[in-house]
Amino acid sequence: MLKILIRRELLDNLMTFRFAAVLLITLLLVVANTVVLIQDYEQRLKSYNDSVKRHQQELRNSKTYSTAFLFVNRAPNPLSIFNAGLDKRLGNYIGIYHGFMPTLWDARMHGTDNPFIAFFSSIDIVFVFEVILSLMGLIFAYDAIAGERERGTLRLVLAQPIGRGQILLAKYISTMACLLVPLILSLLFALLLLTRSMPLSTADFLRIAGIVLTSFAYLSVFYLIGLLISVATRRTGTALMLAMFIWGFLILVYPNLIRATVSPGGDIQARVKTAHNQIQQILNEYERERQKFLETEGIAGESSEFSKALGFYHQADVNPVTLTTYIENMSVISEIRPDFEKYVPVAKRYYNFVEPLAARTVEKAWRVRKQALEEIYVKQATTDRILLKLSPVGIYDAATQAWTGTDLSGLRDFFYAAQRYRKVVIDYLYAKDAFSSREWFVADKGAVDWRTLPAFTFQRSDVGTNAKRALPDLFLLLICNLVLFMAIVLIFIRSEV
Amino acid sequence: MWHITKREIYDNLNSLRFALTTVLLLALMVTNAVRHLREHPKRVQRYRDAVTESLNHLTDRANDSLYTLAQYGPGNFYKKPSPLHFCANGGEPVLPDVVEVDEPPVFMTDAEGNRLLEGIWSLSYPDANLQNKDVGPNVSQVDWAFIIGYILSLIALWFTFDAFSGEREHGTLRLMLANSIPRHTVLIGKFLGALLSISIPFILAVLVNVLLISTANTVHLTTDAWGRLGIIFCLALLYTSLFVALGLLVSARVQQSAVSLMILLLTWVTFVVFMPSTLASIASSFSPATSFEEFWQQRHPSRKDLWDKYKAQLRSSELADRKLRAKSEFYTENAEREERRQEAQLKYRTSQVHRARAITSISPATLLQHLIEGFAGTGFERHLQFVDNTQRYARQLREFVADTDRADPESLHILGVREGMSKKPISPESVPRFEDTLNLSKDFNTAAVELLLLTLFVLVLLSGAYLAFVRVEV
Repeated sequence: MLKILIRRELLDNLMTFRFAAVLLITLLLVVANTVVLIQDYEQRLKSYNDSVKRHQQELRNSKTYSTAFLFVNRAPNPLSIFNAGLDKRLGNYIGIYHGFMPTLWDARMHGTDNPFIAFFSSIDIVFVFEVILSLMGLIFAYDAIAGERERGTLRLVLAQPIGRGQILLAKYISTMACLLVPLILSLLFALLLLTRSMPLSTADFLRIAGIVLTSFAYLSVFYLIGLLISVATRRTGTALMLAMFIWGFLILVYPNLIRATVSPGGDIQARVKTAHNQIQQILNEYERERQKFLETEGIAGESSEFSKALGFYHQADVNPVTLTTYIENMSVISEIRPDFEKYVPVAKRYYNFVEPLAARTVEKAWRVRKQALEEIYVKQATTDRILLKLSPVGIYDAATQAWTGTDLSGLRDFFYAAQRYRKVVIDYLYAKDAFSSREWFVADKGAVDWRTLPAFTFQRSDVGTNAKRALPDLFLLLICNLVLFMAIVLIFIRSEV
Repeated sequence: MWHITKREIYDNLNSLRFALTTVLLLALMVTNAVRHLREHPKRVQRYRDAVTESLNHLTDRANDSLYTLAQYGPGNFYKKPSPLHFCANGGEPVLPDVVEVDEPPVFMTDAEGNRLLEGIWSLSYPDANLQNKDVGPNVSQVDWAFIIGYILSLIALWFTFDAFSGEREHGTLRLMLANSIPRHTVLIGKFLGALLSISIPFILAVLVNVLLISTANTVHLTTDAWGRLGIIFCLALLYTSLFVALGLLVSARVQQSAVSLMILLLTWVTFVVFMPSTLASIASSFSPATSFEEFWQQRHPSRKDLWDKYKAQLRSSELADRKLRAKSEFYTENAEREERRQEAQLKYRTSQVHRARAITSISPATLLQHLIEGFAGTGFERHLQFVDNTQRYARQLREFVADTDRADPESLHILGVREGMSKKPISPESVPRFEDTLNLSKDFNTAAVELLLLTLFVLVLLSGAYLAFVRVEV
């Protein structure tokens, strides 16, 4: 009996105008956007490659250790086509340098696009799905029960020896099977286009499978919302109207409204100020130790003469807006005058003392800075995301971002890698005795050979990690499904026909 | 006709959708007002602080000497925040709100650190601020442009999808047409009825919004702002009538109201939600963008070229006067080149944005967005006006410096060089002040084409609805 019902529903749905319309629109939107997005990705990839090349060139050009400009670049995520997340928003290259410890907010953008166009709002496949799938689910569900009730066929079906739960199940299975057609078909087209222009690994395919699974759960939530409305109302007209209202509210109004209503809590300026003072203290301590060293070396009085000769230039600076701490050392001297040659051993000792101290200082400052920035930026964002999850759109967005690795934790991975690489660079400098070498500040007796420096590599997190980050939200969607289905069954069993 | 209109309004007033619409619009507009009241004073304060600081720079330099003013120029220029920011936020966090005055460059110093060859100030236009520190979810602002562009248009479809198909289903359409009413009267009656019944909750929400904003003492709306608000309100009605006409058109052609709503929704989603972003992405890929690094690298050859041009004169130890003149020319030309380079970059980007805007104008939602931005004094066109204002002021200030110098008999009248200019302090009050003004007639001119296009859309859809309804069999 269930089989017969399913077959009937399937035929009912497949032969309708709405099915054709939905299929056409989904295909059109997904394919058109995929083409545009692939183009965009290729542009970003090109700009990434250019940037890598330029930075390599810059490194080769730096003759001394202290003037080395070492940058690492973040490659665009190919899956950002599905959900751009933060991939395009946060900076994509970052300086690696012993006197600077990077956080999420320190990366800069290599100019890719006309930045004025960027504010036209961006689009990705998940966004298309967010809007279209939810609409599809509701359009197919609003008259599922209410329509049959109006036409009187519901009585007919119920006169048969069949449970009410089974009727609902049959409707659910057959309609979801129908709705999967546009979803899968459009994704297949998108994949076809994708694989033609960029290589995707097995892991990427697994991630895409995760996205499909999540999309399915999302679609199902909206179908069930529609079914709930249909069960609860007497007339299809009312059901349609309510469904559209709920759609507009959940997709359009709620996500935008909630971010506007919730204001950032706490006094940001005060927080910035305390962090700023703390960092300043750390810097003062550094300066004291530096001065002490100069005094014990007995060159404190001569330091102006000395620094002019050897490029003794230390600037410890805190930018109050970003709280960034740089301790710069730029010794750009082409050659040392003969009368200053006597200072060279002192300079070597000086740098050998001061540079490791600078590295330790910025690490200390980084701890303060990181905490403050997390409190100012991340806390607010997390609250927003949690509130957004009251709408299925928020859950879906978060889950797909986790699958693609364009969420906050995915981007953090890159910055952790950058921090690890900084350690590698410092170790390399120690291994080469760079701080106490002549090549640290002057290149007149041979330039630095950078070829032995280990290269920076960054692997996106593996599928397992992605899955671990996405599963809580996926479960949340599934629970939504379950609760909705139970509510529908309860109402339907009690309702009179 | 009035009967039909009246009947439509009564019908709608009692319906569920009317109640839901009122609640929704009120909630959105109140949120909008509260947010504006919370954020606008901060914005104004930031602007005031920045302007005071830049005025202090100007005063210090003028008090020092005319030469210092000529060399360092005024402080940075800041964009005045629009009081109608709640109407359209216009990419505010992205667009820069400042035109910077670059410090004079130093080309050469002697052993003691004295500047032998330097330069004078020039304007520089910062790029859009993409250094986004925000890691929160990506959502749009709840401003009027959003409420009207997305929500109100959706509501218009919601009110009209069953205008004819619903009556046909109920059989009342035959009844009505059996009377001696011409069909176009029925159509116009329906159109007005729908438009008016949408306007009622909208006007209510707008009134609450404006009331909240204008009674708060932290925000001050001028007469000019009220006029602009009126224009924006009319734009909202025009835009709504576009979707009412679309709803009537589809509703007249389609037999079932459910199908009609589905077609309308799919059309709406395509034109309002997807079209703007997709087309903008397409438009941005048309022309290659120069990256930030490339832009800065262009500076080097330009300077080298300039140096080659003047080096003979600058090195010659001939007449001091001649050398000074060469220096002055060198400084001025360097500043001019720098500004030209900056301007060329800005122009290139502007033309790209204009192209993107032209392409996205197919979508009525973007048309509306641009129009509201234009009249609210935010967004890209406003930014260009601001840049224009700063350029005009820069010229004015340079003329002022030249005139003041001419009035000083002790000066050699060689501009931009320490030895050749008046070193007397000047009173800061006499220096012209920068004022960032908005011009309503200018806004009208830039908006004219878009306004016409929107009106054209409405007319086409209305006549389409008329043709469809006249021909349809009942």
